[in-house]
Formats: sequence, C-alpha cells, structure tokens
Amino acid sequence: MTRRMPFPAVFGAVLIALLFGCSAVSQSPSVPPKHPEDLPAGRVNCLECHENVSTGAMKPYANFRHTGVFIKSHGTYARQGQNLCSSCHKPEFCQTCHAGKEELKPNTKMGDRPDRMAPHRGDYLVTHQIDGRLDPGSCYRCHGNKSDMRCKQCHR
Amino acid sequence: MGRSTTVVPSGKRLLPAIVAVSLLLPLLFAGAAPAADLSLSSKTYGLLYQRELAGGQKDRYAPLYEYLSADATNLGGMPLSLHSYGWGRVDLDKDSGSGSTSGEVGSFYMEYLHPQGNAQAKLGRFFLTEGAAMEMLDGAFAKVTTPLGLGVAVYGGAPVEYSILNGTSGGSALYGTRVFFVKAGFAEIGASYLKENGTFQEGKDRELVGGDLWLRVGGPVELTGQATYNRSVSEMASQRYAVRIVPGSTYDISAGYESYTYKGLFQSTLNPAFVSPSVDNNDKVQTIFGILDWAFVPGWTLEVAGKNIRHDKSDPGDANRGEVGVRYTYNDKKDVAGLSAAFVSADKSVNEYQEYRGFASYSPSKLRVTLDALTQRYKEEINGKNNQYQVVATAGYQVLAALNLSGNLTYTQSPNYDKDYAGLIRATLELGTTTGGKK
Repeated sequence: MTRRMPFPAVFGAVLIALLFGCSAVSQSPSVPPKHPEDLPAGRVNCLECHENVSTGAMKPYANFRHTGVFIKSHGTYARQGQNLCSSCHKPEFCQTCHAGKEELKPNTKMGDRPDRMAPHRGDYLVTHQIDGRLDPGSCYRCHGNKSDMRCKQCHR
Repeated sequence: MGRSTTVVPSGKRLLPAIVAVSLLLPLLFAGAAPAADLSLSSKTYGLLYQRELAGGQKDRYAPLYEYLSADATNLGGMPLSLHSYGWGRVDLDKDSGSGSTSGEVGSFYMEYLHPQGNAQAKLGRFFLTEGAAMEMLDGAFAKVTTPLGLGVAVYGGAPVEYSILNGTSGGSALYGTRVFFVKAGFAEIGASYLKENGTFQEGKDRELVGGDLWLRVGGPVELTGQATYNRSVSEMASQRYAVRIVPGSTYDISAGYESYTYKGLFQSTLNPAFVSPSVDNNDKVQTIFGILDWAFVPGWTLEVAGKNIRHDKSDPGDANRGEVGVRYTYNDKKDVAGLSAAFVSADKSVNEYQEYRGFASYSPSKLRVTLDALTQRYKEEINGKNNQYQVVATAGYQVLAALNLSGNLTYTQSPNYDKDYAGLIRATLELGTTTGGKK
C-alpha cells in the first residue's frame, strides 16, 4: 500500500507551495455569479454581446457559443471550471441529466422544448440496447452511479 | 450472496450537518445588510399514462412530480450565495417507480465567489466537475488562481451515490485536487488526482490521475485533451483529444479521437449494466469523430456529425454513425423548426438502425404550441417489430409573467408497447427579486 503514497504527497506539496508561495489572488475580475442581463430565448450566442476573452473561463467567448459542437463537447470545458457555466445556469440545469435518482427523462420534462438537445427521445428502452452495446461509455457518464431500478429488471 | 439492493446515498449522514451549517452561515451576515437577491422556481409535472403491453395487459400510472429550486445571492451585500434544488414524486395510481414516493435533494450549498481571480468556495451538496472529477458531493470545494496563472482546486467529502449493484454500496469518502496553469485566451493545462474510499470492483478503492489541456494554437484553432488513468486497476480509463475551429459566428468544426477501457472506466460503477455479464470487462472502445455546425444563412443552421466506433472485442461489433440535420430559427429566436436523420451501419445487423425526426414550435404572444415526431427503423426485428413511432404535441399559455401552464400529449408505438398514450400537465412558476439570467 505504501507505494500509492507519492501521488497525494506530491499534490499536497504543490498545494502548499501554491498557497503560501503565491498567496495573492489573481487581479483579473471574477465572472459575476449571475448574468446581469436577462438571457434571450433559444441557444445562446455569447458573441452577440461579448467579443473578448471571458474572465471566468479565460477562454474566448466564441468557444461558448451554444452550437451543436459545443453542446457535444461541453464536458471538456466544464472540467476546467464551472464558474462561467453557473453564471447563466442554475445547478438544476446540469442535474437535468447528471443526476442521481432522476426518474423523468429530460425530453419528457422539456417536451415543450423540442429544440433542446435532450437525450433519449422516443421509446429509448428499445434503442438503448443498440447504443449501449456499441458505446456504453456514453451511457456511463450519467448512468454509471444512477439508481434507476428499471435497469435492474434486466441487468442483474 | 450479494447484499440487498441499496438506494441510499452514501453521503446521507453528512447532509443534515451541512444543511445546518449552510443555513446558519447567512445569519452571521444578517446584520451587515438586509440585501439579498432571491429567486424561486417551481416546476410541477402531473403525468398520466396507460400502457398496453404485448400480452394485452393494460397498466395506468399517474405520478405527480414537484421540482423546486431556490437561490439567494448577494447575501448581506457580500459575494455569498445559497443554492438549493430538489424534487419529489408521489404516485396517484399504480406505482410508477421504486415505491409510491421518491425524491432527492440534488443541491444545497453555500458559495463564496471572490470578486477577483475567480477564487471560490462551496460548502454543502453540489455537483462538481473539476479535472478527473464529475461527482455529486456532500462536502467542501475551494479553488484559487494566483497572479502567475498557477491555480489549485481542492475538494473533499462524502460522495452522493446510489447503488443498484449487489455487493457494492458506493464510496464512503472522496477527496481530490487539481493543479493548473492558465494564460488567458491562450492555454490552460491541468493535472488532477481523485481518491474515493470504497469497495468497488476487485474490492478496491477508486483512484484516478487525470490531465486536461486547452490550447489555442493560432487564430480560431484550438486543441483540447483530456485523459484519466485508473491507478486502482492500473488501466487507462479514458482519453479524448480534439481539434476545434471556431472562426467567428458562422462555422464551428471539430474532429478528434476518443477511447476508453471498460475495466478502467467502469471500475467504480454502481449499476449492473456496466459489469459482467452485461459487458465484457476486457473490451476497449476507440472512436474517431467529426462534427460541423454551419449557420449558412441567418436563421438557418446545418448540423452534420459522424463517428467510427471500434471495439477490441469482436462481440459488440464495430459501427459507423452519421447524423445530418437542419434547423430554422424564427420569431425573434423564440421558435425553432428542424429536420434530422441519423444512420447507424454496423458489422452486425442487430446494431443497425435509422432515425428520422421533425419538430417545430410556434409562439404567438402568450400561446406556445409544439409538435415533435420521430421514427426509428431497425435492421433486425426487436420483439417482433422493426420500427417505432412517437409523436409529442404540446400547448402552453403564459398565464402571468411568472406562471406558465402547459401540457404534452404523447403517442408511442414501439417494440415494447403496442400503444402507449401519455399526458403531462406542467405548471412552471418563476419568482425573483431581480432581473438577470439564470436558466
């Protein structure tokens, strides 16, 4: 077991060095906790108002235009920080899909928003047999630790 | 002799204490200023559906769901906020899930956001994505970036997990860190470590080491990378590398490579769908993908995507998936209409299908109606059928500025259901003391 110690030790040392060696916080302004203007309907295009680099994500606003490309790769950006996301989205937005015990499919809750990229349209109990065989990793991110008892009816 | 099914979050012991602390903290600042920006969101869903199963049996269900979220920001005039979100279900007819009632506290946390440098701290139950971590946690999180661009995030607590896997009830404690360097508009590179104590597969903890990269290599071209190594089973869990080109607001193009091993990625699963015999734990998936989003005329967008999926094991078989769709946005962006098609061609015909979908919305004044139709055609029959159809029609009315009432009617015919009629009534109440965006 002792061979596993170096990683926590190294990270702990780096943490201490960062906190005490560079104690000042960056002077760049933080992203506001709540977007100051009402957001328009539909997919957001940050470029309608912003043209520079976000002080929250430290990336160009063009990256966060809610295109199909961004939506399919949003996890890549979220894993480097959630603060820009949470300026416009409540916690419940993420947890519409990334949830623990959620029972209602996203497209059922948002039936009046067919424009949203909600997964599992139709009778997905049928189609998941195919998608799950071919690419179970895509299921795992939301269902790996999800307590849907309906899974257990077949997956024992 | 597996343990009985567990559906209790492992963090349940910690939550009451965190809720108490989170509620008491704002009182410390109550004298400073009475100000706070408050918002409340209530979404009530009443469902009614009857299913006619293949054997002729008819079952009727009437679950009632309430989703409630409340947020208080600018507490006491300070950069403090309190966020909460949860839902509950009660069945008015036959049990629709596990028991006649259910529910969950999804989030309940205090958050401090420093005015500079995006320094932040959270305490309570929250959904966290940071490096190798994508967790629900009862605990604490802190993140700071120094003037040099070096930063660190740390977190720890009890994981909120739900198990339906015999013999594994989830982890007891989870902690981790991410160290990163960021240069605004140019690069962000991070290294992360996560440890979760538990008895997951092979009786081991979960221990991940991760790396992440965002690099703007020139103009609109950027590279992203993300890799996670599972030390518990000495296996690369997942990798994703992509190049993305975002030249202004017309095009968005991305292509890349993704791979994961079942043993590395699924090691800490709590769902039997991700362990043997449902899957072969020695398999590995490699995917090459490409996505294009092209706003070719104002209001019109073409979306094209394709990916090639390859398995190390021959059993699931390899496949190609292609998607093409067009969307038209109108009525001051309030409405969208779209058509799309998706095709899966595979080594094994049992994995092949096609999907066609069309939808549209119309929102004159306070009324809103939508129609959404989908059909799937399978190469091989499933339960004696080789297709399914679903049509969803909705109508809603903005009764008050804060209150919207709407309803869905859904008809489904599929290999599972000869006929499935479903109705849903939705009441959405949004109250707040300030303007500003939160979706």
